[in-house]
Amino acid sequence: MHEKLEKEALWQFGGYGFLVAVTMVMMFPIYWLVVASTLPQSAIFAGGAGELPRLIPGRNFLANAEALAARPEVDFYRSMLNSLVIAVVYTGLALLFCSMGGFALAKYEFKYKRALFMGILGTLLLPTNLLVIPLFLLVSNMGLSNSYWAVILPWAAYPLGIFFMKQAMQSIPDSLLEAARMDGASEFQLYYRVVLPSMKSSLAALAVILFLFQWNLFLWPLVVLREGKYTIPVAISKIMSNDMIAYDQLMVASAMAIVPMFVVFILLQRHFVNGILGGAVKE
Amino acid sequence: MTAITLDGLTKSYDATDMDDIPDNEIVAVEDVDLEIEDGEFLVFVGPSGCGKSTTLRCIAGLEDATGGEIRFGETVVNDLRPRDRDVAMVFQNYALYPHMTVRKNISFGLRLSSALTTPEIDSRVTDVAEMMGIEDLLSKTPDELSGGQQQRVALGRSIVREPGIFLMDEPLSNLDAKLRAEMRTEIQELQNDLGVTTVYVTHDQTEAMAMGDRIAVLNDGLLQQVAPPEEIYRRPANEFVAGFIGSPSINFFDVSVDGQTLTAPSGFSYELEDHSVEDDTVRLGIRPEDLTIEEGGDDMTVTVVEKMGNENFIYGTVGDVEVVARTPVTVRPEPDQRVGISFAESAMYLFESETGAAIKTKTDEIEPQAAQF
Repeated sequence: MHEKLEKEALWQFGGYGFLVAVTMVMMFPIYWLVVASTLPQSAIFAGGAGELPRLIPGRNFLANAEALAARPEVDFYRSMLNSLVIAVVYTGLALLFCSMGGFALAKYEFKYKRALFMGILGTLLLPTNLLVIPLFLLVSNMGLSNSYWAVILPWAAYPLGIFFMKQAMQSIPDSLLEAARMDGASEFQLYYRVVLPSMKSSLAALAVILFLFQWNLFLWPLVVLREGKYTIPVAISKIMSNDMIAYDQLMVASAMAIVPMFVVFILLQRHFVNGILGGAVKE
Repeated sequence: MTAITLDGLTKSYDATDMDDIPDNEIVAVEDVDLEIEDGEFLVFVGPSGCGKSTTLRCIAGLEDATGGEIRFGETVVNDLRPRDRDVAMVFQNYALYPHMTVRKNISFGLRLSSALTTPEIDSRVTDVAEMMGIEDLLSKTPDELSGGQQQRVALGRSIVREPGIFLMDEPLSNLDAKLRAEMRTEIQELQNDLGVTTVYVTHDQTEAMAMGDRIAVLNDGLLQQVAPPEEIYRRPANEFVAGFIGSPSINFFDVSVDGQTLTAPSGFSYELEDHSVEDDTVRLGIRPEDLTIEEGGDDMTVTVVEKMGNENFIYGTVGDVEVVARTPVTVRPEPDQRVGISFAESAMYLFESETGAAIKTKTDEIEPQAAQF
């Protein structure tokens, strides 16, 4: 018995050790990014080829940030604001559309429902590059180019989000909706007073996914936005567009760019795990 | 309070996508005619898939009838939405809103569809909570409640709106046996107090017998019989009703018939008084409690004796037929023992072999009660 417990403890220790090692490997680039953002350009690559980069933080963070702020063609802080506004509005709007689409597909019967669902999923197969020109023409014709809406609207009904919400909403018992109908709820009241509040975890998980998707979007904002409206990924690319790459500025910009993602994830972390695992186990 | 009339109610589903379905449709409920009186407690009972829940859902408006008419009083309600029918429904899984407290669950319908002010709603919710004994639970959410408490909340939610009709779809089937018996009584008391027309669906014939003013037995979407519990038990319309109602189930034997004379290999014979049968055989039914076990006989081989405490169930075989008798505790034959069986002719049921229609039902009198309260 004692031996068995010891063996179990050893396995547990080994398992945790492995997980810690994997986590460290995954976290290392992020750690180095943060460290590098505090170093002067000269110190970032001081080690030379074949040697470990410097892993102790320096004191140049503010200086690097000031240098970054001084570059008008990058306009970093403005880009940060643009990205925040776009990502927040996009997340809200996409949550609305995806949850509505998912609700319809999960809980209503209508003609060609399956074909429609397949069509929605099929759009996932189309690479963004392929869509750039037709989307650009569409957005230009609508008079939306170089506006926030140009980046927010095209993926507001995000196919993966609709799929995710459809799967999640299938777990809502039909009798719950029927009870609300008997209680006098209209179909829209059903959606926002019964369905949405019961889907908090899934919505939070989807919010994280949508926010990250929009925050990281690069090609489309590059095409459709001009200076002053740039988002973070586009602004970061502009840091590299001169003859010399200012790695110190690049690192400080990248370090600051991941902060909102961390904040969103940490705020919604509890729901995120519940939402992703929703329906995985019978409670 | 409202009377309900079902006039040729039919509900079928499109089955064009399914193979091997004749006419490409599945008929769940077929041509059901039924009048449910104002204030009556009617129980739909039948095996799984017999159409009882579908009928209830058609009355609720959750399913559209594909044929026939549903009337509440004089009003045809076929085209009315559930919210406009003035009905409340209790579901098998209670269907409480998981994100709302008990108070909000109960008041949800009032807040949506009544012109009551918030204080009026609060007062109604408190009254109902007191009636259901759940005053202490008002600030809890459904996941903090036991099954019985959830059931009370679900009932409270349907009562608070003071609807014209209660519909209940197997509301007790998720409860354990003891709680089920308690809630059964509570629902009956509640219905007696409120006097609201109630349609109750169950697959449990004991529940149906215990609760209903009348019972409607359904099978394969067809209404088999509607009658008070005692009549359903003593005078079933056909073999299906006789077999479905009663626990343990009635025993059936095939017996030969020649015109009006029934004979069985054991030497049993019986003359039909006012009925002539064209078939060669009829089905003879005898309830377990009407079978008498006689020691020393040679009709049945005992297989199992179930001792229930207040009575015994004696299982055995007569030829190829499995038979069960319900006897006093003093009768306790051993397994494999041969025993005799007998029954009074007045307790005998006869059904046509082909159609299952009843030819003869029980004619014995119920013994008068020893004392009247």
